[in-house]
Amino acid sequence: MADSFEPKIVAFLCNWCAYTGADLAGTSRIQYPPNVRIIRLMCSGSVDSTYVLKPLLDGADGVLIGGCHPGDCHYQSGNYKARRRVVALKEILKSAGYDEDRVWLRWISASEGQLFAQTVTEMTNAIKEKGPNPMRQKWAV
Amino acid sequence: MESKPRIGVYICHCGVNISATVDVEQVAEFAATLPNVVVSRDYLYMCSDPGQGLIQEDIETYDLNRVVVASCSPRMHEPTFQGAAQQAGMNPYLVEMANIREQCSWVHSDRERATEKAKWLVASVVAKAAELSPLEEREVDVTPGSVVVGGGVAGMAAALDVADAGFPVYLVEKSERLGGRLAELNRTFPTLEPVADLIGPLIERVQTHPAITLFLNAQVTNVEGYVGNFKVKVTGQEGERQVEVGSIIIATGYDLFDPQRKPELGYEYPNVITSLEMEQRLFDGDLAVNGREPQRVTFIQCVGSRDVQVGNPYCSRVCCMYTAKQASLVKDILPNADVTVLYMDVRTFGKGAEEFYDEARAKGVRYRKGNVSEIYRRGERVVLSGEDTLLGQPFDWETDLVVLAVGMESRADISELSTMLKLPRSADGFFLELHPKLRPVDTAVNGVFLAGCCQGPKDIPDTVAQAKAAASSALIPLLKGTVPVESATAVVDADLCAGCGMCVDVCPYGAPALDLLWGVSKINAVLCKGCGACATACPSKAINLQHFTPEQILAQVDALVG
Amino acid sequence: MKTQAMTEQLELYGCIQCGKCTGGCPVARKTTLNIRSLIYYMLVEPELKVDAHEELWDCTSCFTCVERCPKDVRPAELIIALRGQLVEGGRIPETIGAALMGTFRQGNPAGMAREDRSAWTDSREVKAAQDGCDLLYYIGCTPSYDIRAQPITRALARAFTVAGLDFGTLGIEESCCGNEIRRMGEEGLFEMLVEENGEMIRAVGASRMVTVSPHCFNTFKNEYGLDGIDVLHYTQLVAALIEQGKLELANEVNKRVTYHDPCFLGKQNRVYDEPRAILQAIPGVELIEMDRNRERSLCCEGGGGRMWAEGTNLEERLAFQRVQEAADTGAEILAVACPFCLLTLEDAVKVRGLEEQLRVMDIMELVNLSLGEE
Repeated sequence: MADSFEPKIVAFLCNWCAYTGADLAGTSRIQYPPNVRIIRLMCSGSVDSTYVLKPLLDGADGVLIGGCHPGDCHYQSGNYKARRRVVALKEILKSAGYDEDRVWLRWISASEGQLFAQTVTEMTNAIKEKGPNPMRQKWAV
Repeated sequence: MESKPRIGVYICHCGVNISATVDVEQVAEFAATLPNVVVSRDYLYMCSDPGQGLIQEDIETYDLNRVVVASCSPRMHEPTFQGAAQQAGMNPYLVEMANIREQCSWVHSDRERATEKAKWLVASVVAKAAELSPLEEREVDVTPGSVVVGGGVAGMAAALDVADAGFPVYLVEKSERLGGRLAELNRTFPTLEPVADLIGPLIERVQTHPAITLFLNAQVTNVEGYVGNFKVKVTGQEGERQVEVGSIIIATGYDLFDPQRKPELGYEYPNVITSLEMEQRLFDGDLAVNGREPQRVTFIQCVGSRDVQVGNPYCSRVCCMYTAKQASLVKDILPNADVTVLYMDVRTFGKGAEEFYDEARAKGVRYRKGNVSEIYRRGERVVLSGEDTLLGQPFDWETDLVVLAVGMESRADISELSTMLKLPRSADGFFLELHPKLRPVDTAVNGVFLAGCCQGPKDIPDTVAQAKAAASSALIPLLKGTVPVESATAVVDADLCAGCGMCVDVCPYGAPALDLLWGVSKINAVLCKGCGACATACPSKAINLQHFTPEQILAQVDALVG
Repeated sequence: MKTQAMTEQLELYGCIQCGKCTGGCPVARKTTLNIRSLIYYMLVEPELKVDAHEELWDCTSCFTCVERCPKDVRPAELIIALRGQLVEGGRIPETIGAALMGTFRQGNPAGMAREDRSAWTDSREVKAAQDGCDLLYYIGCTPSYDIRAQPITRALARAFTVAGLDFGTLGIEESCCGNEIRRMGEEGLFEMLVEENGEMIRAVGASRMVTVSPHCFNTFKNEYGLDGIDVLHYTQLVAALIEQGKLELANEVNKRVTYHDPCFLGKQNRVYDEPRAILQAIPGVELIEMDRNRERSLCCEGGGGRMWAEGTNLEERLAFQRVQEAADTGAEILAVACPFCLLTLEDAVKVRGLEEQLRVMDIMELVNLSLGEE
């Protein structure tokens, strides 16, 4: 059962760094597991809490947010806003008894295709280890 | 006013780039079953003229009001498909793309799972498309003029073309003189033209051109703005100056590989020199070692190139030919000397190059296959340890003078400019062009173009060709006079706004402001860059970032997870 | 033998036949061993008659070929793999067979009795590491049994005591590290040693271990997977002790000294500076460099199982060339940091009649002189 579990991970990537990094992984043909589905946003700073909570409530097994490295934000400070928001959000998830490590925030630049692929691989493995989102079963009952 | 969405979905094979891994027919069949989808097709190349024509015909035939193209990254072809839709009378913001190449077929090998992922990606984008609204396209005037960074042959060639077209050019050169690396060379290959004859007139023209403002001993220290309107800060000995231009050309050149990073090659010995040092000796006409004419001069190829141990897996493209040139010139000066080139492959592309190589051998330059492993000293001479791979015999070749054909690397300080302009670099360290074949001088940053060796090793003809290409690309916005600006800006719903001013605090561009009379926020669309920070921060959810609204994003989430 | 599987496993496809491997190979100059040509054969021919290549036993595992390869192919690993084929078929030189058997039976390639492994202590008291210690002092076979190497082993124990380190040894339970065993092609025996030694070493619970020989150092550091244990060669530890003022080198050793970089310490693990730092810390020592030093050091021909196999050209030993290079510098002492280098180079000094001029000494013997009478 654990072996056949293929997690579903939703990724919000900023257009300028992480999304471009994901493209570079593609042009460099770096292979990674197909468990992550990407939604393009202009900036990680525009990731609303509902964007993270909705998929988790609906049964996604993880949420990845990818932004530019500190100091590199295309909009100057959007990634700092994302960082503050994710920290707060994780606190809330934790206090609600939910495993906050299903939400990952990572800085990936446009030239870090390798890092993107590596991040996806690591996250897929980490979530596989955790097993399916408990919320999924809750709703299925 | 919104009519019911009628979506056309187009799945691209991209030759076999997508279809080799993703079952495109199956994805197209799947897309046809999605809500609001009226027509779904797959096609060999959606970006081709017939591919675009297909979309345009369908818009007409099926009365489509949304188009979804599942193909490469939107960073690649979104403008193409937006343009096609626009020609057919559709608002370009009603086109959306699913990235099933860079983010699917190229990164997965399991056909079944890749096809499944492609379906999810298409479903997600179709869901977003149903929620799209048309946006008004806006344009601003372009500040005429270009900044060219780097005063080598690439920078000068680009600057002259832009200036000759009648636009002001600000040429920023870090050192105290123009000419760059080229000025350090003696003669060109394969024509053996003195470099001075080539570069002298070029420098003269740049210096006297009325449209070119020259900054020597100066560097670009800050860049703000976007294509059409860049503000570039130039810091030099006379202090700082800000110039405003519509486009930027980067021509910062390369560094030479430092042979000390291959300690086994004995660069510390006085008779082991780099090819650049050889250029100087050829300038001076002085090849003496320890006051004597060398009887043996040996060239070693591929030093710091094609070498993963030093992190340079690429070929530097010029060393084979400059070595042939130097060896040939040495043979002219010392006809009785043994002139040997030790190589692993000889690569002589380009006009007249192979012919030159033939002549060098005919003249008596000896080519011996086998790259050198180690150099050590024996008396006043050095010994080159290697293997003649064709004979299968190791050799210990004593020689008087060794020339290391050092390769090219990206500038040691390239990361400064890369960070400042947010210009991506490729794995080799050089600046990354937007597309290796179709957009070789464009970058990920609109309005910034690449010329010369800052993008990768090249010889003089290729450098000048690329510089002229960069100049013509940089001229496009200047000649057009206007550039489109972000249409997907944030807008405030005055009915929901409580006037708290949070948006004013978070915006780095000063776009939102509180209307004192009504006590609500208003966003200046000209200043708004469309990052969405205000929309996310707004506690009343009164602000929407157009084209990335919560309805659109959550529709995508629903389609992905549901 | 079919070539394809091994070619794939060792990723020989990366090879572009540039010749840097054979070009830098010290034995290629004196025997028919040509690793570049062997790789080419593997790439283009479906079968290889391994038996026909007796020169495979000439390789010293110095890894110059690995260091020089611009494509990250590891040519020396092909030799090890081909030797593995010969070992599997039992088609190996008699002396190699004896070394493997000795290691299997007595835990050392010389086949000396396991009970005598602590003979080097000369009845001095040494703590048993099994009782727990901060530093595990791994002795190794040659430093345990060879009377020429034993003084180094004792000098190190003395230095650790002077520096006040809490160290212990595995005593007669210590077995061969297997570095040479692997390079002779006996992968199975090597794996067994890794398992047994690894278990014993981890059980000690020391945070650091130190070896006398760069060969042991290499395999423990790179092939054992001893996570959490800092594996050191003695030159690294001793240089640090001197730097920290824990070892006072008071007595002058007024000698001109040149230093020979062992392949397993230098080329393969890039420990170049520490041995020199020790020599320079000894008062009176004048350090002179040979032209071929550090990355260009010439192999003494003692590695890769060559202590137990003569190879195909006995007349031209690399060690002869090396001691001549040392003598040409005007040095009185050729310092080494490896027991194999010590033995091969000392032999060469004798054969070449350079005894009046040049003496081969381990760095630790010089340190011991400088520490004064015990």
